[in-house]
Amino acid sequence: MAAVRTGGEIALNRIAIVAVLVVMIVFLAPIYWIASTAFKPRALATTVPPTVLFQPELTPFVKLFTKRVQQTKPVDPATYAAAPWWEKAVYDGGERILKVGDSPQLSPYPDRFVNSLIIAISSTLLAVSMGTLTAYGFSRFKVKGEADLLFFILSTRMLPPVVVAIPMYLMYRAVGLNDTHIGLIILYTAFNLSFSVWLMKGFMDEIPKEYEEAALVDGYTRMQAFFKIVLPEAATGIAATAVFCFITAWNEYAFALIMTNRRAQTAPPFIPSQVGSGLTDWTVIAAGTVLFLLPVAIFTFLLRNHLLRGMSFGAIRK
Amino acid sequence: MRKFVTSLLAGIGLTLACGTSVYAQDKELTIFWAEWDPANYLQELVNDYTAETGVKVTIETTPWPDFQTKTFAELNAHGDAYDLIVGDSQWLGVGSEQGHWVDLTDFFNKHKLKDVFLPATLAYGEYPLKSNKFWAIPLEGDVNGWSYRKDWFEDPTEKANFKAKYGYDLDVPKDQKALHDIAEFFTRPDKNRYGVALYTDNSYDAVAMGTEQTIFAYGGSLGEYDTYKINGVVNSKESIAGLQAYHDLFKFTPPGWNKAFFLENNQAITSGLAAMSMNFFAFFPALANPATNPHAAGTGYFANPPGPTGVHVAALGGQGISVVSYSKKQDEAMKFLEWFVKDETQLKWSKLGGYTCSKAVLESAEFQNATPYNKAFYDSMKIVRDFWTPPEYAELLTQFNDNVYPFVVNNKGTAEEAMNGVIKDWTATFKKYNRPVH
Amino acid sequence: MVVSVLNTLDPQSRAAARGWSDLTIRNIFIIPTVLFLIVFNIFPLIYSLGYSFTDFAANRNVPWSFVGLQNYRDLLADQRIWTNFVITAKYVIVSVGGQMIIGFGIALLLNRDFPFKGVVTTLLLLPMMLSAAVVGLFWQLLYSPSWGPINYILGLRNFGLLSDADTALYAVAITDIWMWSPFVMLLSLAGLSAVPKHLYEAAAIDRASSWYTFTRITLPLVAPILMIALIFRTMEAFKTFDLAYVLSVQPTTELIAIKLYRLAFQQWDTGRSSALAYIVLIMVLAITNIYVKYLNKVKER
Repeated sequence: MAAVRTGGEIALNRIAIVAVLVVMIVFLAPIYWIASTAFKPRALATTVPPTVLFQPELTPFVKLFTKRVQQTKPVDPATYAAAPWWEKAVYDGGERILKVGDSPQLSPYPDRFVNSLIIAISSTLLAVSMGTLTAYGFSRFKVKGEADLLFFILSTRMLPPVVVAIPMYLMYRAVGLNDTHIGLIILYTAFNLSFSVWLMKGFMDEIPKEYEEAALVDGYTRMQAFFKIVLPEAATGIAATAVFCFITAWNEYAFALIMTNRRAQTAPPFIPSQVGSGLTDWTVIAAGTVLFLLPVAIFTFLLRNHLLRGMSFGAIRK
Repeated sequence: MRKFVTSLLAGIGLTLACGTSVYAQDKELTIFWAEWDPANYLQELVNDYTAETGVKVTIETTPWPDFQTKTFAELNAHGDAYDLIVGDSQWLGVGSEQGHWVDLTDFFNKHKLKDVFLPATLAYGEYPLKSNKFWAIPLEGDVNGWSYRKDWFEDPTEKANFKAKYGYDLDVPKDQKALHDIAEFFTRPDKNRYGVALYTDNSYDAVAMGTEQTIFAYGGSLGEYDTYKINGVVNSKESIAGLQAYHDLFKFTPPGWNKAFFLENNQAITSGLAAMSMNFFAFFPALANPATNPHAAGTGYFANPPGPTGVHVAALGGQGISVVSYSKKQDEAMKFLEWFVKDETQLKWSKLGGYTCSKAVLESAEFQNATPYNKAFYDSMKIVRDFWTPPEYAELLTQFNDNVYPFVVNNKGTAEEAMNGVIKDWTATFKKYNRPVH
Repeated sequence: MVVSVLNTLDPQSRAAARGWSDLTIRNIFIIPTVLFLIVFNIFPLIYSLGYSFTDFAANRNVPWSFVGLQNYRDLLADQRIWTNFVITAKYVIVSVGGQMIIGFGIALLLNRDFPFKGVVTTLLLLPMMLSAAVVGLFWQLLYSPSWGPINYILGLRNFGLLSDADTALYAVAITDIWMWSPFVMLLSLAGLSAVPKHLYEAAAIDRASSWYTFTRITLPLVAPILMIALIFRTMEAFKTFDLAYVLSVQPTTELIAIKLYRLAFQQWDTGRSSALAYIVLIMVLAITNIYVKYLNKVKER
């Protein structure tokens, strides 16, 4: 492995690293810009030239978590002086926090965030486990019309969601699944299954059959062999599949909007609604976006080493 | 044995008591509206109702672009997620003919609401026109008006330059011609200043509201709503001139102004980009407060100026509140409405920032002086005119947008071609709905 | 039907003496998934198919009537629908093409040892972790000639890439490329890192040119995984809705999925929108079928 590197190769490597830096800047600039907007004072969000240096503040997050109304004139000084810092920050922005009695009224964001977590995690678990089993089935056993079945499974991802939205909606209403967590979990599972089966099928194909056969000879049942031998080998593929299923379920918008109301609504339809009422408040949308990006980013980061190996779809011959 | 029976009875009693108390907490109403300030004001208002009666009222909101989709997805499935919906006047046709809304005619008569609300605002509830049948209570009055940079208009140098160029004084435009001149005058791309901010978004009714207002002002019309006559009306000389005028104004909008609605138009003022900006009055609070508009002190407001023949008109915005016929709590909803139409509730509503349609409140000096734009609001509210409202309105709107947008924004074709395109598409739609075709 | 296919026992399969038989295992592994997909995809689809032959409007209580192929005939004769298809085709080619080239290009760059490789790769995946609606909102602002940083940085002054009718579609495609190149990059990288090192070493000993190494060793080996990236991205690009809908309202960016949405949820023309949905579905099926056939060929080579 330790091949002697020529001067040319080292130079090439340097150029590549510079190129990687350029790519990073281009791809991450918009992300940086969204993230920095989440800490900007509202007035600095849309300046030309863009504001780079500013005193970061937490006001956007205070706004994200509270229900507010626009004020036509500044609040009277006495009320202002008596207010805690977070309320002052909202007053400074020309708004007022709604109160029930003395306590501030919360925005739906925290509830929706929790809904998103419940729904995305459950549907990811379901899609990945069903996908893994099905992929194993296709990979190890003869199935008549395998190619057609696999194509059918893939085809379920081809429809624009709008196509099935109306019948789905009527069906969900009829069985009482609308506005329930379980309803969205099922939907997102169905949506992710095709991807999960295809990805895992490739991965299962790569695991040598001899492993299980040796186990069977050693007295394992097929199920034991699957759980004790195959699954650990497939961990990498499972991790990669989970990341993708999670990203899709986490960000789904259209069905979340149509199928849910108060009980089970997830965060994606809520974040854009924070555009503000009379003037776009980019800082609040940015704050909502940044908080919402954290779980996926952390999840992906933790599984990063599996991602590279797990994404091969079995398309590479060893 | 007796002990057993007693405890059993006590148990039943306890269960019933619990059941009743659960039921009492169950007194809850859900109102659905779009996500904007008036919905927050309404939440604050109904908190009073909860304090008075113990009935919890929740305002549920969704972003404007999804509002219509979500409402009708729910209504078409006969869902009872919402007890009351604050809906657009254009929805009255569908709402009444498809049985989504509860008939409020008796309620109107019982409370003599025709005397309570400003006559023009009855349009939020009456369908068909002049039928005396009501399906919604006027809740948030709104109308398209204008904000402008008073400080720029009052600048002596600007005044002198304007007079030299156009031969009359620079002031709040007294007619559509002056609006055009002023817009042209203030358009200075090298200084990043533009004449006017217009509605151009065609994903819902923005571009239609902007164009119809100008078309009406020029004496044009979008058809005779009671007889469905469109040929010779929609493509009349006046209608075409009105569309042409809106197209001509578009030249003076800031660059990239092709998907603009209330947010962009307000920002045109706060960021010092435009001299005049079209917007619904409900969005003006953000302009009045120096915390959100650095030019608040220099911002003024006016009602849509009359056209060449003196037609004074403004596009109707705002919404009425309707009871959903699939709601299981209609009685509770009616009780809420009874509270809502009371004079003191209407007064409180206007104080919180809602636009009441109550005649008494609107006409009071207290209301008209409360904000810099309330007077202009009152003036505009008297001259409102609306888009089509029959059940097929959604198709009419999309078809109108599809024909008008390319001409106004992309300068494709002519005004006459655009209007003839509208007629062609609308005729097909009217045929489909078995309307009389002229 | 599926069940009966699965029930036929394959005599070659090893029926294990202990525990569940292979057949049972195969069936309990596969049938739930297939059934699940049938219930949640085929049922609504059959509904839609039914609607597509009627004048049903979900927003009206009037009884609908059977109109046969009228919806399909009207749609296929409608010039505007064809315009939507042309726009969609252009969009799919530009955006998927761009993603493939850029994604694979970045993967080639990253396919070497350098410090913080794992972190860099994860960071580059961030764009695809955002929701399309939010990406649309922020890119609309990025592109704005009045308030956005892009025009300022590139010195474009008043030219709005997104607002100009002629370039708007490309602006939407650029955003999509930004968002999804990382996906292609990840797949390519997985493929590239699996190419056995000894092949490169052998090529180096033979003094093969780097072009030769690339076209004869690298490309053929990663071609199957590139095909898979292409399949998934084409399918997704074909149904792009949120992103384009939030970014632009220009008639020149009205993709077929947007047209579908407007027909189905703004005009509530359920019958016709279902028919259009079927036309779209058949097209995507046809295209994907060709891809999958090609993929199998590439794999077998």
